[in-house]
Amino acid sequence: MANELVSVRSVTVGYHGRAILRNLNFAIERGDFMGVMGPNGSGKTTLLKTLLGLLDPLEGTIEMRPANGVPLRIGYVTQRERLDAHFPLSALEVAIMGRFGMIRALRRPRREDNEIARGCLRRVGMENRAARPYRELSGGQQQRVLIARALAGEPDLLLLDEPTNGMDVEAERAIMELLLGLQQEKSTTIVFVTHLLSAIEHFARRVALITRDGTVVIGDKAAMLAPDNMARAYAATET
Amino acid sequence: MLEILTIEFMRNTLLAGVLVALGLAPLSVYVVLRRIVFVGAAVAEISSAGVALAVLFQVEPFAVALVLTLLTFLGFSRAADSPRLPLEALIGMLYAGGSAAAVLLIVKAPRGEGEILNVLFGNILTVPQPLLWAMAATFAVVALLQFVASKEFLIAAYDPDMARALGISVNLWNTIFYVALGVAVAIAIRAVGALMTFTMLVAPGASALCFVRGLSGAFTIATVIGVVATVAGVFASFWLDFPTGPTIVAILAATFALSYGYAAMRGA
Repeated sequence: MANELVSVRSVTVGYHGRAILRNLNFAIERGDFMGVMGPNGSGKTTLLKTLLGLLDPLEGTIEMRPANGVPLRIGYVTQRERLDAHFPLSALEVAIMGRFGMIRALRRPRREDNEIARGCLRRVGMENRAARPYRELSGGQQQRVLIARALAGEPDLLLLDEPTNGMDVEAERAIMELLLGLQQEKSTTIVFVTHLLSAIEHFARRVALITRDGTVVIGDKAAMLAPDNMARAYAATET
Repeated sequence: MLEILTIEFMRNTLLAGVLVALGLAPLSVYVVLRRIVFVGAAVAEISSAGVALAVLFQVEPFAVALVLTLLTFLGFSRAADSPRLPLEALIGMLYAGGSAAAVLLIVKAPRGEGEILNVLFGNILTVPQPLLWAMAATFAVVALLQFVASKEFLIAAYDPDMARALGISVNLWNTIFYVALGVAVAIAIRAVGALMTFTMLVAPGASALCFVRGLSGAFTIATVIGVVATVAGVFASFWLDFPTGPTIVAILAATFALSYGYAAMRGA
């Protein structure tokens, strides 16, 4: 209990009053490295957006437990395909957006924000590409910049939506190892959503499995990847 | 060469054009990036319907046009984030509805046609002094807002989910952006007409985005393109005896064509 960062109680999530996942009860613990998996369309991103506060739960409560009285800071790494490539932004201009929530309205980023964003690019191995247009970077490099952007907000909890989608095996491994390193370096709690079994299998410590009946089962990786649990999520309905 | 500046109405023309460029060219970067370029065309139709309505009921045309323009932009700010329908469908319907309303109202307004034509095609040569002051004040406020709210406007347009996750109100900043755009467009249409307003709302930003590598550079270059094309258009129209507004529009179109060609050659 004391180690819980986020507590989800009797929560139903969905859009426009339509429930997608029901009666969710689980906790995200400090220092967690959790993968959320389930079939396409099962509600993974909806769950993530509800945790982020972008969607209100249809029922139940989500309690964020601040550390030392300071409100919990959440870093969000969106799906990179959702970002518009027409915006002529450099990697640094993208990374500095992570600071925007910490800068008062109608104030522009200061030199200090610039330095922090640059430092975050350094942590993800992208400092030497800070001035490069974001849209000209490879998929893996763009993902690193988006992770740097989330880190720039100095988050207690990092939520990532399909961080390795569309990447080859090498790029996927590099991103997941980067996340693992960040988690070990500062004990940042990391939750990532993926439909790729390989990312879960090789890197997650705990797994939240979205089942076909719209519930979430959480446990250690070995237990969650057992055939009976996999069948609850992925087996085709018998006809 | 500079005898043009000794003629008062040409000085006013130059000033009006430059003010419109300073006001709209920076906004054009966001108009292009937000994919709302036809908002300018749709709003011009709504504005002309407003003028026709005002003439019909014998009230101040600009006030009615301004109110309708602001309401339209407020509607856009709400619709911009809607998952139900692409924004361009709404823009298209407003264009069609505004055009139809303008025509139907003109038919019933005995003295409407001249004023409607003035709104649609404008007359940069006859901008009165008080309107120049109003333009200067309005565009200064809009430019200042764009500068101080640059991070809010950027993240609300680029990554609304991230903005919300950071506690930045996307609805609020979209509304502020569209209201600022609405006021700027309304006053620009009143001064220089719909065609030049629409072009100034697209061409400088589209041209700049063809060759910049950073967003801040896009605002600067768009503004330079808008101002230079306007000055060149005013001088060219004077020497060549062409109508001023369409000359500026033609120069902006040519600038865009060159920028686009350059970007295509570069492979961007």
